[in-house]
Amino acid sequence: MPEYKKVKVVKGPKGWGGPFLIDPKVGKDKIVSITGGGIHPIAAKIAELTGCEAVDGFKTKVAFEAMACCVIDCGGTARVGVYPMKKVLTIDIYPTTPSGPLFRFITEQYFCSGVRLDDISLA
Amino acid sequence: MTSHSPERATLKYDRRVTSVGALLDEFVSAGVLIFFGVGAPEELAEFSVIHEGAPLREPVEPGDVVTVAGSRYTVLAVGEVANSNLANLGHLVLKANGQTSVEMPGDVCVEELPFPSIDVGATFTIETGRR
Repeated sequence: MPEYKKVKVVKGPKGWGGPFLIDPKVGKDKIVSITGGGIHPIAAKIAELTGCEAVDGFKTKVAFEAMACCVIDCGGTARVGVYPMKKVLTIDIYPTTPSGPLFRFITEQYFCSGVRLDDISLA
Repeated sequence: MTSHSPERATLKYDRRVTSVGALLDEFVSAGVLIFFGVGAPEELAEFSVIHEGAPLREPVEPGDVVTVAGSRYTVLAVGEVANSNLANLGHLVLKANGQTSVEMPGDVCVEELPFPSIDVGATFTIETGRR
């Protein structure tokens, strides 16, 4: 059985939401990058620190239940709401605030934005 | 004859719709039309217009014309990440709100006009406005 480490995520200087703890478990251990241009460095760092696998969400389908967290580069309307709505810990590399038709699902418990590499650390 | 004659509009994006999400109307009724290129995860596809996806030939700017299923919309404002979204993911957030400044960095604001009904095979283009 793999042993995963916990990782803390805090918002960036202009960001919103969080902080939260990524606590992967077997079966809920995919770090999903739903970003343009493959696996984002933020997702790669979380994967490295936790010991989980990073996955490109545009190439591989991952069930919500299997996502330890997801990393998005959302400009504020779509992805920003979908994953928090499904109760997936969501990290936006852009400093967005709750907005869009799904804004009511975007809470500090599930969403953290403006996140930089330095905002991710072992818990 | 050159294809770059200044009187002619330059086609920046030209794609065909491959599927339409079941929840698209929920966003359309809010004046928002969301596009993604093929390969978008199902949870995003369900409220989006999915199209072939393509390299963006030139950045989208205010004054450009977006045509969706035959309906034309003049671009009024372009968010700072909208062009990279479109170039990388075929992703566009079109807001028909008549605003000349964006609310969110991914937005492209156009004239406040209703969106058409969109079917598979419809075209989706962006071209320079005729100045």
